[in-house]
Amino acid sequence: MNRREFLFTALGTGLDTATTPPWILGNPSSPLGFRFTDVTNAAGIQFQHNSGAYGGKLLPETLGSGCAFLDYDSDGWQDILLVNGMDWPAHKRQRSTLRLYRNNRNGTFKDVTRSAGLDVEMYGMGVAIGDYNNDGFPDIFVSCVGQSRLFRNTGKGTFIDVTRASGLYGRQGLSTSALWFDYDRDGLLDLFVCNYVRWSPEHDVFCSLDGSHKSYCTPEAYRGDTCWLFRNRGDGTFEDVTPTSGIFDSSSKSLGVAMFDYDQDGWPDLLVANDTQPNKLYRNLRNGKFKDVAVEAGLAFSTEGKARAGMGVDVGDFDNSGRPGVAITNFDNEMIGLYRANATGVFDDVSIPSGVGAPSRNTLGFGCLFLDVDLDGALDLAVANGHIDETVRNIRGNVGYAQPPQLFLNLGNGKFRDVAGEAGGGFKKSRVGRGLAYGDFDRDGDLDILMTTNNGPASLFRNDHLAGNHSIRFHLRGTKSNRDAIGATVRIFANGQSQSRVVRGGSSYLSQSELPLTFGLGKRDKIDRVVIEWPSGRTEEYKDLGAGKTYKLLETKGIQEQPGF
Amino acid sequence: MQNAASSQRSPTTGLLLGLVITLAAVLAYASYITVQLAGLRKLQSEMVDRNRKDSLQLLRIQNDLNSVALAMRDMLDTTEPYPLTAWTAQFDRIHQDLDSGLKLEENLAGASRTPDQRRYLTQSVAQFWDAVNRMFGLAQGGKDAEAREQIRLSLQARQQALSTAVSRLLVENNEGEQQAAVRIAHIYDGVQRQLYLFLAATLIAIVLTSLYLIRSNRQIFARLAELSEQRSELAQKLISTQESTLRHISRELHDEFGQVLTAIGSMLGRAGKHIPEGALLREDLKEVQEIAQSTLNNIRTLSQALHPVLLEEAGLESTLDWYIATVGRQTGLTLHYEKTGQPFPVETNAGVHVYRVLQEALNNVSRHSGARDAWIRLKYASDSLELEVEDHGTGFAAEELPRGIGLVAMRERAELIGGSLAISPRPQGGTKVRLQIPRGKVDANGA
Repeated sequence: MNRREFLFTALGTGLDTATTPPWILGNPSSPLGFRFTDVTNAAGIQFQHNSGAYGGKLLPETLGSGCAFLDYDSDGWQDILLVNGMDWPAHKRQRSTLRLYRNNRNGTFKDVTRSAGLDVEMYGMGVAIGDYNNDGFPDIFVSCVGQSRLFRNTGKGTFIDVTRASGLYGRQGLSTSALWFDYDRDGLLDLFVCNYVRWSPEHDVFCSLDGSHKSYCTPEAYRGDTCWLFRNRGDGTFEDVTPTSGIFDSSSKSLGVAMFDYDQDGWPDLLVANDTQPNKLYRNLRNGKFKDVAVEAGLAFSTEGKARAGMGVDVGDFDNSGRPGVAITNFDNEMIGLYRANATGVFDDVSIPSGVGAPSRNTLGFGCLFLDVDLDGALDLAVANGHIDETVRNIRGNVGYAQPPQLFLNLGNGKFRDVAGEAGGGFKKSRVGRGLAYGDFDRDGDLDILMTTNNGPASLFRNDHLAGNHSIRFHLRGTKSNRDAIGATVRIFANGQSQSRVVRGGSSYLSQSELPLTFGLGKRDKIDRVVIEWPSGRTEEYKDLGAGKTYKLLETKGIQEQPGF
Repeated sequence: MQNAASSQRSPTTGLLLGLVITLAAVLAYASYITVQLAGLRKLQSEMVDRNRKDSLQLLRIQNDLNSVALAMRDMLDTTEPYPLTAWTAQFDRIHQDLDSGLKLEENLAGASRTPDQRRYLTQSVAQFWDAVNRMFGLAQGGKDAEAREQIRLSLQARQQALSTAVSRLLVENNEGEQQAAVRIAHIYDGVQRQLYLFLAATLIAIVLTSLYLIRSNRQIFARLAELSEQRSELAQKLISTQESTLRHISRELHDEFGQVLTAIGSMLGRAGKHIPEGALLREDLKEVQEIAQSTLNNIRTLSQALHPVLLEEAGLESTLDWYIATVGRQTGLTLHYEKTGQPFPVETNAGVHVYRVLQEALNNVSRHSGARDAWIRLKYASDSLELEVEDHGTGFAAEELPRGIGLVAMRERAELIGGSLAISPRPQGGTKVRLQIPRGKVDANGA
């Protein structure tokens, strides 16, 4: 028992709660510097994912779905989007659509799906948010089973389905994660879409664990499918450059994607997590083409040379070295892959020495996020877990269908510790977790977490900070670069230490986190300087910025300080 | 004499011989094992490891060929919306990996591959990629249908032929590994057999050496026991002879010279009575008579000292009373004599030895201890007779037990009468001599 626990125990037994000082009530016995509270119901989020499962055991039922934090009305408050599946055509029981929740700026949300024009049935999987037409309002791409959809934000609180008009119509697939990024650095966001396997309800494969009853098939039973890359022409339409860009690969079975400047040349590369196939690291050759260098980079296989079942992926400078590391969630018995670049630029899997490997051996991870949850200046790692097979407990006694999420706290010495059980708010509760995103929806300067489950509810966890750590946030807006500044790298320097973050779409699994960047500063109340490397190639620097604020950084136009977050 | 000499021979030579033989056996076996291990290592590194690495590369090649087959399958599937040229990058990646795998495989295959096999593989691969390039050439020219026909007619067959060739090489590698495994098992069997032989030989050598050592030790101990017995017997004979001699001299002195001097004294007394009072002769005779008496007393004392006749006449207790008083007078030592227990008559022969031990002990106190006091305790216990002589003089260190004929003689005497003698230093200084004899050995009444 530490000193604080002892104090709380003594106070709890010796004093009436009515006489306990308020700071004690607001400072629970958790030794962490923060605490989660499940505010899903209080915030008015009533969401139930519909996988369409009716007993036919169709592959996509196990996969969905994703979620996103986005500021769709550009009011500075993060809204929430939750992707949904639907009943299979021959088994209609209910109507289900994705849900868009507008932030009421008081901790609650309002379901605006219908008024926003998003009350559309589709078998949605993932979501990518990006202002592809640079009009200041984020647009929504929903990856689907079959035809994916692109919704353009009118800026008046509504969306228009522009799938056909944009030229994205006609590409059918079992699409999964997607992201917006400006691969050719022309100031326009391009779209990358992962596809899992070649699947359609008509050509579903029969698989069985007991020889008689149908079960969900593993990906080996299906042919792979290529990912897609769509180049933004700038006129509201997209060009499918998949076959000419070097992205085309009919063997891939992709589930997760993260933007990643692997070679630090300022041109965005892509890391794709593949299920039972080698992961792909598409290096941007700066001429509109990509080359897969995953094997050379050490990211294609596990350390044993095995192609693991990659699910979610995220990239972040978790060791504050200035070079981003990588996390890839995998199947149970495969562990999370946590990669760190060595001196030669090759990535080493440090999951076991870091303490992330062993606790993830019996979990099946999907969504994963690097975020500084305790604002101590080191990126932590959150993971959503959950199996795909309801009967897994019968086969592997130590692996459950519903699994608790994990929150690996970065201890700052190359080690992580799972503190999910100490975070409170029922965060540790077992779920069939899938999507995972972060955003500061209550604008208190720390990062809240949104998690989806398969065929179950979504959960919103409010992060309440207790330790008095400070943070500083940056909201970037490109002028020469894409307006969302996706691909911009921000480095802050304080007391001789530095941190870096990249404005990025995609990552995690089927999900997208907010675009503003949050830096934890510990007890420091200011930073010495911030350096922004815009996607256009321009570099800007600002000095002596106080903590506890959000700064709007406008490319070529300066910085605007916003009181509070 | 020859037999005695051989029975007394030292076992060192035999032991050294055994050691030399054992070391030679160990060296021989170590050399054998080293040679076998070197052979095993060579076999493993040159055959098995190389073969395994080669098989891994062949599997990599096979995997690439399978990827090519799958890609060609997808290319023939017209549901894919992309033109065939879309597969260019995928084929480039496979081509690159296949070339890398083939290069490594060629280096690893070494002598196990025939020139024909090498030529066939190289040429087949080259022809395959040539056909692939022609196919993509057609595709780039917009002739996707012709390109697909090329895949059906030529590329798939070439891919299958290559795959078969690689499979054959994998089978050969597998057979090579099996042969190597047999050879390795043979080496292991040989080493195991030799190990058992070595262990058996070592065991026999150890048993023989042990038997020899046991026999030698027994002979040595028997000889030591015999010598000890002889020495003890000799010492006891010496003591007996000494006692007998002393007793004889003592009796002679007492009986012969005593009677003569007694007679001389009587005669001188009678002669003096015939001489008038005051005559010079009478004075002289009286003086001679006193000298004779004095000599008689000295002879009696000497006689007692040599062999206390008192022992035979009055027993041990009275003899010790007399002796301790005499020694005290003669040496000036203050002797504290203490008797405890219920006295019992001590057999004369045993009493002589007790007396001699006391005599030697007090002699040592007087000559070596530097002490002026000594404590003598005679204890008649129910089952033993104990005599202790203690002084508080210089003593000796515990690890430096004094050696001398007197002490040896005391031990011999103790053993002669079935008792034990302990000589020990006192922690506070001084020495304590303790003689203990079972009562059955000394009690004249046979208690």
